[in-house]
Amino acid sequence: MTSCGNPNVEKDALMERRPKYDGKTKICVKCKENQGNVVIRHAVYCKSCFFPLVQTRFKRTLEPSINPAPDGPRRKALRAAGSLAVGFSGGTCSMTLLDLVAKTYLTTRPTGNESMKGGTDHPRNSERGVWKGKPTVCYVEVCGAFSGQIDQTEVIRAIVERYPNCPFEFIPLRLEDSFNPSWWSSVGGGNAVDSARSFGLDISDEELRLTHISQSTPPDSSALTALKAYLSSVPTLTAVNSTIQTLIRLLLFHTAAAHNASHLLLGTSLTSLSVNLISGIAQGSGFAVAEEAKEEWTPRPARGLPVRVVRPLRDVGVKECAIWNWWAGLHPVDRPWYPSGAGKNAVDSLTRDFIFGLETDYPATVSTIARTCGKLASKEDSDERCILCERPAQRRVQDWKAQISIRSYSDATPAVSGITKPTHLSDDEISNLTQAKQESKPEPSLAPYLCYACHTTLTSRSIRGMTAPLSAQRAKETPLPMWVRSTLDGVVAKDSVDSEMIQSKKLTSQDIKSQIEQYLIDE
Amino acid sequence: MAPKICALCRKSKAMLKRPKTGQQICKDCFFYVFETEVHNTIIQAKLFKPGDRVAIGASGGKDSTVLAYVMKTLNERYQYGLDLFLLSIDEGITGYRDDSLETVKRNQQQYDMPLKILSYDELYGWTMDAIVSQVGRKNNCTFCGVFRRQALDRGAAMLNVDHIVTGHNADDIAETVLMNIMRGDIARLGRCTSICTQGEDTIRRSKPFKYAYEKEIVMYAYFKKLDYFSTECIYSPDAYRGHARVFLKDLEAARPSAIIDIIHSGEAFEIKDEVKATQKLQQTCQRCGYMSSNALCKACTLLEGLERGMAESGITDRARKRLEAEGPAPDNIRTIPFFNPPSGQPVVTVEAPS
Repeated sequence: MTSCGNPNVEKDALMERRPKYDGKTKICVKCKENQGNVVIRHAVYCKSCFFPLVQTRFKRTLEPSINPAPDGPRRKALRAAGSLAVGFSGGTCSMTLLDLVAKTYLTTRPTGNESMKGGTDHPRNSERGVWKGKPTVCYVEVCGAFSGQIDQTEVIRAIVERYPNCPFEFIPLRLEDSFNPSWWSSVGGGNAVDSARSFGLDISDEELRLTHISQSTPPDSSALTALKAYLSSVPTLTAVNSTIQTLIRLLLFHTAAAHNASHLLLGTSLTSLSVNLISGIAQGSGFAVAEEAKEEWTPRPARGLPVRVVRPLRDVGVKECAIWNWWAGLHPVDRPWYPSGAGKNAVDSLTRDFIFGLETDYPATVSTIARTCGKLASKEDSDERCILCERPAQRRVQDWKAQISIRSYSDATPAVSGITKPTHLSDDEISNLTQAKQESKPEPSLAPYLCYACHTTLTSRSIRGMTAPLSAQRAKETPLPMWVRSTLDGVVAKDSVDSEMIQSKKLTSQDIKSQIEQYLIDE
Repeated sequence: MAPKICALCRKSKAMLKRPKTGQQICKDCFFYVFETEVHNTIIQAKLFKPGDRVAIGASGGKDSTVLAYVMKTLNERYQYGLDLFLLSIDEGITGYRDDSLETVKRNQQQYDMPLKILSYDELYGWTMDAIVSQVGRKNNCTFCGVFRRQALDRGAAMLNVDHIVTGHNADDIAETVLMNIMRGDIARLGRCTSICTQGEDTIRRSKPFKYAYEKEIVMYAYFKKLDYFSTECIYSPDAYRGHARVFLKDLEAARPSAIIDIIHSGEAFEIKDEVKATQKLQQTCQRCGYMSSNALCKACTLLEGLERGMAESGITDRARKRLEAEGPAPDNIRTIPFFNPPSGQPVVTVEAPS
């Protein structure tokens, strides 16, 4: 920063407002004949050119990733390895996506003899689609997370099923399914009645220790109760929103994998992509920034195909989606996700307000954000994946955090000694502060299995304190989503075995005797 | 209500809520963790080696005042073995820099460090007052920013220092990450989170406050009773605060870790190799020898425009073309002295504390 506090020492730093429409012409820039109906990024389009414009952008993004070998020759044949799943929320962009998928790939051909000719129009090709089987549309109902919200599953079902000949199979999901053993079993995750089922999370502790849920816990562990307990235990509104996003994402992934889908399409528009990118960066997920636009997810435990997650509207702004819906007669479902007043206190909703504001005044900035982030890659390779969000994770993020913010003297033991110790503390006092940690028994913790962003979600507190105070017992036994439990079952058990192998302990004669007691004869 | 006990030492009364962690801690623990974290940053990045001559870029503002104090403290506590200097740039803004330079001179006495003040007038033959009288207030910050960067390097070369440290804090870096993403400046985005920058011919420049929150720097100055000068530059009274800065403050209010989280993100990604290949190579300015992306460095371009009465030529392409159409630069215009990297001997005498 300059000493005058002015960031615009360079001309480029000034984001000068440019008129949205210069008023010079009202003729469509595409056909150059019709009167324009809409201004998109400073250019005028007529209604009849608008639809192919959006459809072309949609296909240009989606089609290179359809064939198993991406970016291969695709003019000849688009053949996906598996089926298609569409994540549908009923919102503006989601509605456009579903309409585009239906109109581009699932329209039934006319049955008249005139149209049944040779080539690609030959009758034998009429049944061959790009994807195998019937495409599925997955909807995650989030009303369980908030009180007073209406279940809109049937409204969404009606929207999905109104397309001619019902080209989609509708799969309703609920946010609480993330904690539901039956759902987990139905998507091939396995039997949840395993040892890891007893793991809970001590969210009151920054080290995120895993606790064994006591047998005396009341049997109220229904999925909805578990979801509510989980959401009420995360420390900030930012964390609540981010958790809901993660749960929806993983519910869609696992469901898509269970239906043998090779592609999962999400209705992320250019505007929402920019929001997600900036919001993700502001929440510390820079390592996985490339995943925000395009990712390939392999299910754990291994089953089905790797799911290629594509956002085919990532070159189409939210305004264009709204115009598409308006002219196509589609009515998005109003889904007030966030409790009122939450917008000002959460990173994602602040980002959304900021980016939507930019799109109004500086439309080019929104696409600049997406283009700039498209040129970024992770600094280091990592085959680690976060146990919670299942995105690539860096190693040693906790060490980095401890280095730059000292949260306890016990973590900074080597530095807290001699002339480098705090001047107001005596050697004994320092020793007492550091001893507690050294003597405590290491317990399994969730922290080493988390990416930076998820670790921050679970530990970063607001200056105002917790979202809602939790009882000590509830905070120590926060339930975990099914996929986390399942993976923990493997890794914690393995780590426990490893640590047993390397732990050494001097045995007393009583210890030794207890091991061979049954072989000793009373004297 | 019983007083809160410090979350770190569990002994003293908590006096503040730490902006970075939200913990309620006492004053002494705050001083300790603030200083130790800066020390950790220095050690982790291996910024110095014993015997280094280090110039602290001192503006008289809060960041550089606290930086000078902390650098002196850490140098003594951890025996870094550094020779510390204060280096100030006088832009020649009457009524603005005059006062803040007084703060720097006080720091020179308090911290017992030699001080060098280098003026734009001395280096470029122009003060900011004179520049503003020619270019007006609209683009004067462009001149000031470009001239200051070179002036610091040239001042450091005169002092024969190995290293310049500046008071850029975590908020500045997080803001720069966001700004660079929003304006698509991929080259700067790739390097803005580096703690230390050094070209082939330039002096190492680093930011020990990279992870220090602006609010904590103010808090440190307040509790240590350090005096500093705080005013808006008179040539940007309605300083364009930037969308990124306002947004960042909102994020920080929602979740204080947002600043560090953005820096962590910036450190975790890099520019893809295929994009790097298309970037301009660094070269040397044909006229003054300073590093440049073009045949002439930005400072020489701006100075030539000023000297030929066409100040806009360094700002807009159209004005630049107009200047080029008038032919090559005449021989009698003032130019910046040729840049010579540190030679091993100081070429100027510095004001030693009296």
